[in-house]
Amino acid sequence: MKRRAIRIPNLGGAQAIILHRPHPTVQALSRQLTAIGLQVVQTWPELGPEALAADYIFFDADMGHDGMFPWEPGQPPIPMIALIGSEAPGRIEWSLKVGSHAQLLKPVGDSGAYSALLIARDAFDAQKALSAEIADLRRRLEERQTVVRAVTLLAARGKSDAEAYAQLRQMAMAWRISFEDAAARIVAAQGGADDRSERR
Amino acid sequence: MKRQIKLGLLLSRSGSYSLISEACRSGALAAIARVNGDPDLDLSFVPVERDPGGNIDAYAPLCEEILRDAGARHMVGCVTSWSRKEVIPTVEKYGGTLWYAVPYEGFEASDHVVYTHACPNQHLLPLLDWVMPAHGRRAYLTGSNYIWGWEMNRLARERITAAGGEVLGERYLPIGSRDVGRMIEEVRFARPDFILNSLIGPSSYEFMAAYRALGLEDAAFRPDRCPVLSCNVTECELPALGQAAEGLVAAGPYFRGAPGAGNFGSSHEAAAFSAVMELARLLAGREGSETWPLSQLLAGRGGIVDPETHHTVLPVVIARVEGGAFRTLKRWEAVAGDPYLTRSRSIPTPSLRVVS
Repeated sequence: MKRRAIRIPNLGGAQAIILHRPHPTVQALSRQLTAIGLQVVQTWPELGPEALAADYIFFDADMGHDGMFPWEPGQPPIPMIALIGSEAPGRIEWSLKVGSHAQLLKPVGDSGAYSALLIARDAFDAQKALSAEIADLRRRLEERQTVVRAVTLLAARGKSDAEAYAQLRQMAMAWRISFEDAAARIVAAQGGADDRSERR
Repeated sequence: MKRQIKLGLLLSRSGSYSLISEACRSGALAAIARVNGDPDLDLSFVPVERDPGGNIDAYAPLCEEILRDAGARHMVGCVTSWSRKEVIPTVEKYGGTLWYAVPYEGFEASDHVVYTHACPNQHLLPLLDWVMPAHGRRAYLTGSNYIWGWEMNRLARERITAAGGEVLGERYLPIGSRDVGRMIEEVRFARPDFILNSLIGPSSYEFMAAYRALGLEDAAFRPDRCPVLSCNVTECELPALGQAAEGLVAAGPYFRGAPGAGNFGSSHEAAAFSAVMELARLLAGREGSETWPLSQLLAGRGGIVDPETHHTVLPVVIARVEGGAFRTLKRWEAVAGDPYLTRSRSIPTPSLRVVS
């Protein structure tokens, strides 16, 4: 599979939240992020609703706990970067479980934030694109039966399977809807049951 | 009684970019002489010079000699970005500060470096915005094979494609290599509207000479038709380029003879001079400040260094070599350095064509 194009995001004015108790690491990280051009907010021990408007979250992997994020576990709506001090397997496992996209080792010094931002953004985008693609494929897989039924209905008017299939494709194009949606329409028009409604 | 403050100079006086090092060195030494001779300043600088001779592996050990053995906290130096990146860990380790007086490719804002020359929003981007309407949007990109050339060409490609232009070729040479034949052949066939030259030292001199020969052979490659652009050529390299520099268009914060900016041989000299003068201003009248970290030194003192990014506000000048000197084509007075292109990046507007 061809790799997606990598996007170097424009970080000017982007919002970063550092979820970490006040600490020199927060200071060093804030300096880096401010130099890059982001706006930085530090918060602890949990994220407030403002997190939903942020663009990046840096979170403490050492003291972090479930419930510090206002969303479903492992389903962050924005890129997350783990701040790892103790490289203990349990802590790394936890930061993966909450869905981190990149990491930065503590103590944070004079560099590392820029690459963490770019890597987290890319991993997040990749995950989102893959999830959307998988959801679409799954939907199409589920509607295979509807397609088969539509082709059978069209073929019943004296066409070969191949002709019926081509006709269905043309209808979908004419209606400007997906192949599966066109099949569902044919089946519904013929009084047949739509798989999709059965399933729900 | 003046305080004696050690000031490191880490510059390669031999090797492939020695002309630039010499320009930085004379700017720094001129400023040191000015500071030492100024009875109103309570300090004088004692230079601690080390010469890596253009050898990349000599930079970090010599930097350590300046900061650890000689006990200096500030130094002016490095020409290539490669060498700057090489010394930063050492500078960080000893809590020192590097004053860097050479144009570079941006995307850096070390807590231990002050950048007194231009970054891309002060050289490359205005240069491309000038050349594309004037000459066209089909580009050939060259560079020396290290971070300066790579990042300059990456940014150029981004800007050119966003403007609807096209990159016809992109090729690199190892630092010091004179093997420009293949580049010239590619240019001959690609017939671009302009060439971006981010080669340094002898590679650049050789390329410019060969390109001039190509222009004599075929008028499509004369500088008025297909100019060579550079963000690193200044007056200090004109003697090495000779006739081959004619028509080259460069961007920089200063060119010789610019009004009201002192009388420097080149922008390298000017940037090193202003680095040392600014350091003197920050240290003056503050007993013991020579051991402070940079952040403390900069806090609340105003001046030319942005305390967030450690970059400086500079003029942007686009100039063409005519008769052995740079003649200004376009000038902006004060542009703040924006290393991550997050503060000033303009959305490139698609150029509209008049339809009649």
